Amino acid sequence: MTTDRAELLRLIQFCKTVESAEIDPFELDVKRFLSLLRAYIKRCKSMDDLLLDSEAISELTRVIELQCRWVKDRSASFYIDPALIELKLRLMEPVQLASAFLKAWHPIVSLDRLTAERLKQGMDYWNALLPLSERKRASEAELIPEAGVMELSDLFSLRILSQTEFKEELASVENELKMRGRTEYYDFIYDTDNFDESVRRAYLTSHLVSEGRAELDVEPLEEKIFITHGEGAANVDRSVPIALSHEDWLRWKEKKRQERNGR
Amino acid sequence: MEGEEAARAERKVKKAAQLLLFRRHNLPGVKGWELKKALGEDYLEIIELLNSFINKLGLEVRRLSADEAGKSENDRFVVVLKEQMTDKASGLRIDDVAMLSAALAYIISRQGRAPRKSVEDLLADKFPRRRVSSALDRYIRQGYLKEDEESLLIGWRTHVEVDSKTLMDLILAY
Repeated sequence: MTTDRAELLRLIQFCKTVESAEIDPFELDVKRFLSLLRAYIKRCKSMDDLLLDSEAISELTRVIELQCRWVKDRSASFYIDPALIELKLRLMEPVQLASAFLKAWHPIVSLDRLTAERLKQGMDYWNALLPLSERKRASEAELIPEAGVMELSDLFSLRILSQTEFKEELASVENELKMRGRTEYYDFIYDTDNFDESVRRAYLTSHLVSEGRAELDVEPLEEKIFITHGEGAANVDRSVPIALSHEDWLRWKEKKRQERNGR
Repeated sequence: MEGEEAARAERKVKKAAQLLLFRRHNLPGVKGWELKKALGEDYLEIIELLNSFINKLGLEVRRLSADEAGKSENDRFVVVLKEQMTDKASGLRIDDVAMLSAALAYIISRQGRAPRKSVEDLLADKFPRRRVSSALDRYIRQGYLKEDEESLLIGWRTHVEVDSKTLMDLILAY
């Protein structure tokens, strides 16, 4: 059984070679192949054996089809031995090859002609066409993505921010605010080692205010803003724009440094 | 009445000549359904009439089947030179004609299909490989050859323009 299987695999491989390499399909002994298959099918036991048998039949069919085509081609009066043609082609000069082609060539007669109507269409197109600089500008404008607002949920879904991490940081800012009590907003926000951290703190604080976990108290006369921890209602309707800038942050730092030195 | 009919036929023949001789698309020729739309149901009779006129000039209308199943309205109609060319009638370089001739003969001798690599090897025997490759690409674009995943085949334009039997006879006669 193992020998038959090996022989069958070898024949399948040979069939594939015949198909791909375009070698003479009559190199395959179909009669012997069929006898082998007959003997093999009697001893088939597993699904693998049956699959191999069907693959062999399929490959054999393809080779028989090639044999059929081979007979048809050679029986036609047009058949010429490819090896002979190749030899002739290698021996012939380019001029002789070209001459043979020209004698067998009946080129398509086809003319291109510009009509008055087509010229008018061209002129209309020209008139409707914007200058290249304007078209270029328009295509560049199309490439600039439309500005939009990114929600916190978008940052979570994009995995830029982790929900747990965000909650922890929010809780940390809230605790600090709780400990400080009522404090001036900028003292709370700018009291950091770098400006990036201040921006981050401002962002988190705005969340606390929105959720009602902190309150802003604007003193118009003093032109100061205070912040306190509180369990108020969420301030979704109220918006207090507060500007932050790196220059302000530097000035605040300098002022604090002088205050410390003065003391 | 008879005069009217003749005048109508003449108008249609002129229209058919314009459609077939002046290029309207990227590829030369006109599809059967386009002719039917422009000339009417009796377009095949009009084409026959046109053929009888242009035969006197050494030209003829050829019909190229779109599929092997038989004639259909998708068949392409083209006007070709009926006789053998008497003088140089194309801007092709002699090298390009020679390469096309050799490639076609090689593929025809292999039942219409040959691996591109083997065609390139044959042509590279006489021309630089870089030129061979670009020439084959050009013949594919022009419709003389076509290419599938692994082989080069005879293109639609060769079927219309080239008398394969004459070409092979001439090469064998060398």
